[in-house]
Amino acid sequence: MIEKANILSKADLRRVIKRISHEILERNRGSENLVIIGLQKRGVPLGKRIAANIESFEDKKIRFGKLDISFYRDDFGKKIKADIEKTEIDFDVTDMNVILVDDVLFTGRTIRAALDAIIDLGRPRSIQLVVLIDRGHRELPIRADYVGKNLPTSQNEMVEVRLMETDGRDSVILVEKEEDVK
Amino acid sequence: MDSNMYNKILIKNGSIVDAQKGNIYRGDLYIKDGIIEDIKDVIEIDNKDITIIDAGGLTIMAGLVDMHVHLRDPGLEDRETIESGARAALAGGITSMVCMPNTSPVLDSPSLIKYVIDRGKNTGCSIYPVAAMTAGLEGKNITGMGLLSEAGAIGFSDDGKAVADSKLMFEIMRYSKQFGKPLILHEEVRSFSEHGLMHEGKYSTKLGLEGISRLSDDLMIGRDIVLAGVSGARIHITHISTSGAVEMIRKAKTDGIDITCDVTAHHLFFNDSHLESFDTNLKVKPPIRDVRDQKALIEGVADGTIDAIVSDHAPHLDTGKNTTFKLAEFGTIGLETLLAASYTILCRNKKQGFEKVARLLGSGPAEIVGIDGGIIRKGMRADIAVADLEAGYTVKKEDFRSRSKNSAFIGQKLYGKIIYTISNGKIVYESGLN
Amino acid sequence: MLNKKSILRIDDLTLDDVAKVMETADSFTSISKREIKKVPTLRGKTVVNLFFEPSTRTKTSFEVAAKRLSADMINFAASSSSLKKGESIMDTLRTILAMQVNLIVIRHSDSGTVKMVDDNTPVPVINAGDGKHQHPTQALLDLYAIRSRFEKFEGLRVAFVGDFLDSRVARSGTRLFEKMGMDVSLVAPSMLIPEDHSDLNVYSSIDDVIEDIDVLYMLRMQFERQDRKFYPSVREYNRFLSLDSKRLARMKKNSIVMHPGPVNRGIEISDEVMGDRESPYDNILIEEQVTGGVAVRMALLYLILG
Repeated sequence: MIEKANILSKADLRRVIKRISHEILERNRGSENLVIIGLQKRGVPLGKRIAANIESFEDKKIRFGKLDISFYRDDFGKKIKADIEKTEIDFDVTDMNVILVDDVLFTGRTIRAALDAIIDLGRPRSIQLVVLIDRGHRELPIRADYVGKNLPTSQNEMVEVRLMETDGRDSVILVEKEEDVK
Repeated sequence: MDSNMYNKILIKNGSIVDAQKGNIYRGDLYIKDGIIEDIKDVIEIDNKDITIIDAGGLTIMAGLVDMHVHLRDPGLEDRETIESGARAALAGGITSMVCMPNTSPVLDSPSLIKYVIDRGKNTGCSIYPVAAMTAGLEGKNITGMGLLSEAGAIGFSDDGKAVADSKLMFEIMRYSKQFGKPLILHEEVRSFSEHGLMHEGKYSTKLGLEGISRLSDDLMIGRDIVLAGVSGARIHITHISTSGAVEMIRKAKTDGIDITCDVTAHHLFFNDSHLESFDTNLKVKPPIRDVRDQKALIEGVADGTIDAIVSDHAPHLDTGKNTTFKLAEFGTIGLETLLAASYTILCRNKKQGFEKVARLLGSGPAEIVGIDGGIIRKGMRADIAVADLEAGYTVKKEDFRSRSKNSAFIGQKLYGKIIYTISNGKIVYESGLN
Repeated sequence: MLNKKSILRIDDLTLDDVAKVMETADSFTSISKREIKKVPTLRGKTVVNLFFEPSTRTKTSFEVAAKRLSADMINFAASSSSLKKGESIMDTLRTILAMQVNLIVIRHSDSGTVKMVDDNTPVPVINAGDGKHQHPTQALLDLYAIRSRFEKFEGLRVAFVGDFLDSRVARSGTRLFEKMGMDVSLVAPSMLIPEDHSDLNVYSSIDDVIEDIDVLYMLRMQFERQDRKFYPSVREYNRFLSLDSKRLARMKKNSIVMHPGPVNRGIEISDEVMGDRESPYDNILIEEQVTGGVAVRMALLYLILG
């Protein structure tokens, strides 16, 4: 992997998350009937940070859940490892405005699987998508409602998101994949 | 004398047989409250209520233990009952009896074991039931050995038959280990013995009677020794009749197999030449075999290969025996002649020491089945037989107390009369009285 | 995702595999608790239940597992008596493979048949019980049930009680539990254990272990089987090997009782302990085993076809 560019610094990350948190409250006119679901695995710490922000702005607790979409993927059978994380959603999503949080939006297939998973749990009033980075190259008609940063990329590039909670540091960098040796 | 009144008995000046130590010594023996209170050279007690027995010239031995008896109760009470069998035993100096399960119904359930134990109480004789190894003695299904042991069975046997199914016999041996009770094995191969009436030999040919080959015994004994070796079971071969049996058991013991065996008094006393008279009372199973076998059995007693002498008391009505040799039932009674027959053939005839014979009639069988008995020692329960070994008599049919009178010894001159039998410190038999 | 293509016996699984199965089963347990008990994971895959021996529980358990993963399940009930041995099993196999299936779950009354099938197909095979040999999925669901009640496996004392000789459940269970560090013993009379039992810790009465045991595993006892059993009677069984409320009362706190089902009331376990619609005692895990069974089988299907 060759590092090509630094996209977001630690401070940038903090500001972006704060901004998105405010946008969510603005669009939904407060945090009534709002729930946040973080997509495993980095969507979870991101979602938690957003939830913390919203709670401090509104001075009200907001419900948070974690979602693992391993069982809903459509590339089943072609994966190399199965890293199943926990799905922990201990509230009913029916009639709620679900804020779905993920780190990078790419082909859209992960989000499609997440939509199926959430709808199997109930009938939400709405599902809104938060992503930190939108790197383009959609293969399905999926779009994010809240974007941290739009980043056009090429196929042989990768967006590497690192978070304190999962990786020990906060950073978003762009890397170039080396030649694949088959 | 009312035997119930006296709980103090002083037997004076008798020859006391210590079968365990293997010696006989002169002495006095004092019994009080059911226990042997004292044994000494001379015991003097100043007390009016003592019964004194002058045992001058008499032998004092532990009450005999007969570990193979058929009491036809339940089912065939006209031949013998538990009570009548006990009366007969006491007349023979026998104070402990082990009875076999081939009654009707067979002793294969805990309630029947309890029945026998119950009926045996208060007869003056200690009666110990053996339970069946297979249900109904059918040789197909193992009995509930655990529950039977807990009900009081002191061992297991299918006596009257062997278990033909070798795999089943093996599983019986393995299972028996869990409960620590011996398996008492009657060894007979049906295909060899099926139509046989007496020992297969010169005499069976001469008399024109179908013979039972030694193979009937030896094959089964060989099989069971192998099975016992692999399973580690505790087995006891009962009523052996062949020289081969003695050899195999002798070897098995040195090989470390947990095995013991017994022989009947009639197999020691007789050989097949005695059947020339076609006396149906000598028709027994296993058959009385030839001189060679008889000699081997007597030697087996001498060298300790044989651990007990039994009666295999098998009562039959006159109707069962007063018929052709072919149709007659197998078996002879033996409780009342056990001591005399053993003493006569082994000690008088073959000059073996009586203390050894006494052991095979006392502590030997007691140890095998794990019961008290056969030991004369201070503090032990007072089960005593006082006998006049020198008294000779001719065995007569009318003299038997048993309900059945089919004795192989009728007409024989035997030595060794029981004068008194004491059970649990009470005189329960006195010769000359009823 | 598992170390081997097929699961024929416990030794086909590494410790890592076992851990994966346990964790994955947890995820499926939560799915089985929600309203929509289905995920699209195995959509389009075909699983065949090839049962040569009758079964309700195991067969149904696999069926539910497959369907909750959105797989298609085909039930092929072959009867051993109408088929000749060996050759016809191969013909049956050819027919099934010609239908392009993705996984075969097989149960057969002859030990080792499952291996024969596995050797003759590239498709993964799960052993649902072959003769008296193994029943690995049962052992795994049993482990899962134990896991739900105990912090760790190491040092747990387990006793299998009853007919060890005929039990594939006991064979797989012993192998797996020992692998996980448990202390396994056997309570059985001589006729229900092999002649050579030098590698087993054997007791002859349930009373010998009842006060020290953490897991009491009761094995099914059938008195009517064709092959000779030699065990005397139900009453004798009750005296030495049955679980009744008196014995239950003597067990350690937090100990559990398991059974592969179906229970022969009055033989392995008394009516009183079993209760009417459910047991009055909370350390009887029998229904939990079944519930866990679906989750564990879902985990296996997921890990094999993934």
